[in-house]
This record gives sequence, C-alpha cells and structure tokens, in this order.
Amino acid sequence: MEFKELPPVKEQIMKCVRCGKCRSVCPVFAEIRNETAAPRGHVFMVQMLRDGIVEPDEAVAERLTSCLLCENCSVNCPSGIDIHELNAAARSYIYEKNPSLAKELVFDSLWTRPGLLRTSTKFLWGAQKTGLQSLARAIGLTKILPGDLPRAERMLTDVPVRSGRSMISEVNRARGERKYRVGYFLGCATDMFYPSVARATVDILTWHGCEVIVPKDIKCCGQPHIANGKMETARSLAAHNVKIFNAYDLDYIVTDCASCSAALSHKNMEFLLGGLNIEDQAKTFSEKVLDLTLFLTEVLDIEVPNPEMARKVKVTWHDPCHLANAQGVKQAPRELLKRIPGVEFIEMANANSCCGGSGTYCLTHHDLSMKILDKKMDRAMETGANKLVTCCPSCMMQLKFGARRHHWNAEVVHIVDLLSPFYKVLPKKAASQ
Amino acid sequence: MEIKDIKKQLVKMLGKDKVLTDELDLMYYSYDSSFLTKLEPGKPAAVVLPTSTEEVQKVVRFAYENDIAIVPRGAGTGETGGCIAFKGGIVLDLSTWDEIVEIDAKNMQVIVRPGVIHARLNEALAKYNLFFPPDPGSSQMCTVGGMVANNASGLRAVKYGATEQYILGLEVVLPDGNVMVTGGMNARVIKNVSGLNLTKLMVGSEGVLGIITQIRLRCWPKPKARGIAMAVYDNLDDAPETVLEVYQAGILPSGIEILDGSAIMAVNQFKPQINLPDAEAILLFEVDGNPPGVDYDGKVIAEIAGKRARSVEWATDPKRMAELWEGRSITATAAARVRADGSRIFAGEDISIPLSKIADVLRAIRALGDKYGIKVVNYGHIGDGNVHTAPVINPENPEEVEKVLQLVHDIHLLAIEMQGSTTGEHGVGAVRRQYAELEHGLAVEYMRAVKLAFDPKGIMNPEKLF
Repeated sequence: MEFKELPPVKEQIMKCVRCGKCRSVCPVFAEIRNETAAPRGHVFMVQMLRDGIVEPDEAVAERLTSCLLCENCSVNCPSGIDIHELNAAARSYIYEKNPSLAKELVFDSLWTRPGLLRTSTKFLWGAQKTGLQSLARAIGLTKILPGDLPRAERMLTDVPVRSGRSMISEVNRARGERKYRVGYFLGCATDMFYPSVARATVDILTWHGCEVIVPKDIKCCGQPHIANGKMETARSLAAHNVKIFNAYDLDYIVTDCASCSAALSHKNMEFLLGGLNIEDQAKTFSEKVLDLTLFLTEVLDIEVPNPEMARKVKVTWHDPCHLANAQGVKQAPRELLKRIPGVEFIEMANANSCCGGSGTYCLTHHDLSMKILDKKMDRAMETGANKLVTCCPSCMMQLKFGARRHHWNAEVVHIVDLLSPFYKVLPKKAASQ
Repeated sequence: MEIKDIKKQLVKMLGKDKVLTDELDLMYYSYDSSFLTKLEPGKPAAVVLPTSTEEVQKVVRFAYENDIAIVPRGAGTGETGGCIAFKGGIVLDLSTWDEIVEIDAKNMQVIVRPGVIHARLNEALAKYNLFFPPDPGSSQMCTVGGMVANNASGLRAVKYGATEQYILGLEVVLPDGNVMVTGGMNARVIKNVSGLNLTKLMVGSEGVLGIITQIRLRCWPKPKARGIAMAVYDNLDDAPETVLEVYQAGILPSGIEILDGSAIMAVNQFKPQINLPDAEAILLFEVDGNPPGVDYDGKVIAEIAGKRARSVEWATDPKRMAELWEGRSITATAAARVRADGSRIFAGEDISIPLSKIADVLRAIRALGDKYGIKVVNYGHIGDGNVHTAPVINPENPEEVEKVLQLVHDIHLLAIEMQGSTTGEHGVGAVRRQYAELEHGLAVEYMRAVKLAFDPKGIMNPEKLF
C-alpha cells in the first residue's frame, strides 16, 4: 500500500492538535530536550513527508529514528494517535527510497532465517570463548565498526552455546489431563540468548496441563524489521507465522517475550496485514495470542507448586514497553509475582518507563540509550531489590548491562526464571500417574 | 545580515549544542497548538536554547544591533501562535532552562527559571506543604515562563485567580540586552507597592517587551483536604443557575468546571475508566481547605445542585477525584474523539463572558455551530465565565476550514458583544490581535506607546498582541 494511503498516515496525522502532552511522557525528549525529539514533532515531520514538503531522505530518517517506538506517547495521546505507527510507516517509506545493502543483509538475508541466526550466535559464542572478542577489543578492531557499534558491542556477553530450539521438541505433551493446546512462539532473542527461559516456559505450561506446540519453522516476529524500516519484510514474516500457527488447531498462542506478543497482537497484525488477503487469517491467529504472564494468571490461574522450594527474595519489576504500553498489560506480571512463594515485591518508581534498550536502538543510538538506561537503573536500585525481573529479552540484555554499568549486584532475570525452580522438583502429578 | 551569518554568529556565541541551524530542525519550531500554525507555519531563521541570563543577553544584544526579531518560546503549548517567528528571526527556546533556583519555604516563595514545568514545580513545593495555585490543563507540559508571559490561570482560578497574583518580581532581559529587575525580585517580601508596577506590566505581555529570565513566585499553603462534587444535568441551561446559587450561598469553590454532552463523550472515549454519566452537561465543583470546611461546602453544593441536577456525586476518594479532574483536564485535546475523521482545533477557544450571560452564550455558540454545520464541544471554567469552545472539523478539508474560520470569528465577536473578552487565559498572540481595537479602543495606542518605550526597534516578538 502506498505510504499516503496507509491508515495511520491517511486518518491520524490531521488529528494531532500539537498539545504537547507527548513531550511530558517521552523518554527521548527528556534527554534531547528540543522540539526535534518531541513525538508531536515526529507527527509533524511525517506530515511534511506525506505532503512532499521534505524529501524521504537520511536527514529525515535520522530525526524519526531518534524515537524508541516505546509507544508511551501513543497511549498518552488525548487525540488517540498511534504515533509509533506513523513513525514506523515513515521509516519504511524512507527506506524504500534509500535501500541499504547492509540492512538487506541483516534484516532480509539473516534475520529471516532462524537457522542462519543460530549459526551466527554460535560464532559469537565461539568468539567469546576463544577470547577473540576480547582480542578484537584489545587491538582496537571493534573501533572500526560503524556508528555507535564500537561502544555497543560490549553489551554482547554470555552468549549460550545451545539454542532454545535445541532444548525443546515440536510437540510437548501435557502433564496429566490436557486442558489446552497451546502454541508457543519462540522468539529469536529467547531462542538465542535465553534458551533456559524457553525450556522453563514449556515446562511450566506442560505442568499446568497444556500441550505445547512449538512449530518448526517459526520466524522472527518482525519487530526489529518494523523499527528499521523493513516493513515489507515484517509483513512477510507476519504472514508466514500466521500460516504456520494456523496449521495447528490451537486454543492459545503464548510467548514469553513481550516484544513478540506485541508484534503478534491484533493491533499490530492489523497495522501490518490490514487490507491484505491474509487479514482474516491474521485475525484468527492474533485473537489467540496472549503474553505468558496473562495466560498464566488469567487463563490457567496457576498456583505455583512445591512452595517448600521458596527462597526469600526481594524483587522489583520492569514493565517492558511492548507489554505495558503496546498491550496495556500491567497487572498480570505483578499478580504472577505475588503468587511466587518467597517473593517480596517492591514497586519501583516509574516502572513503566523505557529502559532504552528497544531492540536494536541500544546499538544504533547507544549514548542516548545509556542515558535512558541510567535513569531506569537509579529507580531500580532505589528499591533495594536483589532481583530485577522482567519478561522481555531485549530489556533483559539492556538491564543486565545497566546492572554491570552501575556495579549493582542484583540479578536481572526473566519472570520465568523465578518460577522455574518450583517446577524442577519431581512433579507429584506425573509421579502419581 | 544574511541568515547564514546570523547562524554562524549565534553558534560562535553559545556553541553548537545550544543553537539549531539546520533547516529541517528549524521546521519543528514553526508550530504551536494554534490552528493558525497548522494553516500558516512560521519557520525561524535560527533557534537558540540559552540556559543563563548572560546567554540571553548576548543573543538579544546581537539581535538588537542587527535588527533581527526575537521570539521567546516555552514548551510551545500555546494556542495563539505567540511563540512563532512568522517572519523569520531568532526563537529563544527557554524550555531547557528549568532550574528551581531557591525554595524559600519560610517566606513562602520560590525562584525559578522560565523553563520549569508547572507540574514539576508543584511536586517540588509539595515537600514543603506549599503550592503554586494556578492550574492550567497543560500542567504536565507547560512552562512557568510561558504561564507568566500569558498570565495563564486554569482550573482553579475561581478561588486562586491567575498567575499575575503570584508574581512577586521578575528578571527581564530588555530588547537592548540590559537586565531589568522588577518589583520584589531582589527582596523577600510579600507586600510591596514601591514604584510603578512593572511586574504586572510584564505579566501577560507575551514577549513583546522583553525576555523573562527569572521569576520570584509567591506560594500558598497546600490545603489539607479536597473534594469534588459532580452534578449531572439533563438540561444545559440549569448548570449556570446552579453556579450562581452556590456563590449566593457564600461558597467559593476552588474551581467550577463544565463539560457539555460532547465533551463528556470525548472524555469517556479517551479514558473509559473515568466513566462520566451520559448527560447534556455536568458541573464539577472542586472545594479545598480544612476537612470540616470541605465537608460543609460539599454538602451545601450537593443540596443546591440537587434542586436541578439529575444526580450529584460527592467524591473525596483521591483516585476518583484524580479521575474526575483528569477528565476535565484532558477535554481540551480529547475533544477530537467525538468525530472519527475529525480534529479539534484551537481557534476561538478561550472567550470570557459575564457569569450572568453564560447560558445565553452557550446557546448562541450552539446555534452558530448549527449555522455552519460544525460540531462544537463546549467545556471550561464556568465559575469565572471562561468558556472553551472546541470546533471539531477535518482540518484537511478546505470547505470546513473556511467555515470554521467564520465560526470562530463570530464567536469572538459574540464575546465582545456580550461584554466579554476574546480571551480569558490563553492570550492574544497572533490570532486575536485583530480584535485589539474593538476590545480596547484608544487604550491600544497607549499599549503601542509602552511597547515603543521598551522596544524602539520593534524586535521583540513582532506582530503579536495588538
């Protein structure tokens, strides 16, 4: 669909009254502090782009991509504008006019092929284990990376050798009587960087009576592609995932990654696939999608087993933007934390403020990302918690780096990591069968 | 002087981090919230972001020497084009200069730089049980400097008045670059009648006389208790009657707000959890003070409102009060929600009318909306006669634009005809200066003389106010 005809561009730009409410909630504006970073400024610039007053070039892209796409402006916009969608649409339009070989390689050739992605991760693991990464740093090789990457590469640590995919089967039988047949959307970052989270998610779901299907050919949810102007690729990835999950007769589709659940949500599917032939199939698919925290608390209504395994721990929660803003899910993770024996929950101030990670943003806008992260870490550390919990791999990477950067010895974990020990005891249900 | 040389000189003075010169960046400073700037954006020649009096002086002196227009700007949340350099010139973005210089709790005063956000100031003052009472709906984003320049007021003006009542003194950079200190800027007193009141002259001067660089504000003790009564009406005409009767009963609420049926719909669509009742109008009475006084006022208001209203809700639960107050605060921009393909526009949005004529004016505005076939959402500070009208149109439809410009012109004329004013709190800027002579007559000549005395070269925010 032509840029001007995209629903947000066609219907929403004119709704902006430039009231400036978005200035008060934007984490990037809080750092840059001039109008070029205000979300209403982005709406204005997209309008200029639409009207042909500015050219779709790198200069405009540079302004628009200062935005994290955290959606805090969109949820707070009194006029109801999906500012992030406008921004994403404009990025895509600009990219189409200014294609880049590097982006084609990363987002089309690599990030659309899960097997190749896993191989790359193994290479990274190898580089770390053999000391190649350290050597490259020592001799200054990393400094020749473009843009902010020389500083950002330090965030890549602890790459595991095994992928999540290698640790779970396509079909995982429910323990005891099957309540639901659940599709598990294994996201790229969970698969590559947090395989134990993937394993634990499947274990927890099967414990509570879910047959868990992990389709073989899951591809990226498309979130990084949307952020980087690769909308067409995001569309084809979304269509692919819709088809492969719809091939199973599933009650729900669940993911432990907030960014993935946002990408698979009805809102985003409508944004990507609305008006296309696959729209109805996408609707069928997205109506089944739930973030894991919501599924565990509202559908399964779980009681965590083996409470004797409880260890006292003070935790605080970071709301991923893709969960709290994109999906409005705030209570479910807090409710889940309350159900974990031994957990003392301490709410941090502005728990739903962005950590600055935002997928590839911490790589492309590293310095700005660090400023936003520092604020987050200050609030997290104020709580005195010994675990900082979240449910988004991208946030976890950023927060782990933040903890190291601030010499904070609290552990950054996925909420599934807190649940996992309770499910490692020989299950009574299974034992009695 | 050529624009490229102006830019070069400014960078030399302030450094490149405090000057925007790229043509693309400058476009972001071509708008505020006014409908005017949607139709006619005004791009400056350069934008500077000063954070000291000396930096402001340098820029102003440079502009003075080279006859370049200077336009001060806060958060750009104004609705009048007041912060726009329509014919080029240098915009001074003062929003990054947001230092709270001193909280003098013992003397109930605070000194701030112009870029301090209103809500942040009150957060800081709350630690001392103090507050700065004027409460614009844009509290989360507007700057105190902008409030002073426009003499803003807002939702609590009924009891607490406008910004001008809280300004003890100012530091102002004059058009020639010299620094003038007015009133009690360098004193610590609350009462001060020494000399001509230049402070009052500067408050509401919209940047046409000088640049406000420091503000000494008077603060008030924060009330211990608060309550909100919501009265629900099936007949809009009954609402103003209730307001008059509440006053006659000797009750002075901190704020009295009205939302008409369309405004109610808009708020409910934006935040369904606020759940305002479906009605032709609702009134919100906010009372504050000590707990027994608040209870008493609440009871009397409920009794009076109950005579005409379908129902009355009395809320003292902080969550419910916050919802109701937020509902009113967000109406300004949520108004667009009443039409799927529409946007509310900020034009003709701030008339002030006598309390005794509110019902007549609301009826007349409704008739004007019908005449032009334009949906108009009405809300505002009924307690002080400040009615906000929000026409909702498709701003990209030229026919609708033409009609709405006629409509808002008629609304402005209506206000003057009814012994009111074209603006109660948003200011004049560029959009209402055409009514200056109609509203002020001969006084406009004296305003021009004052301007000339301060700004003989006419570089300060030209073509604004009158």
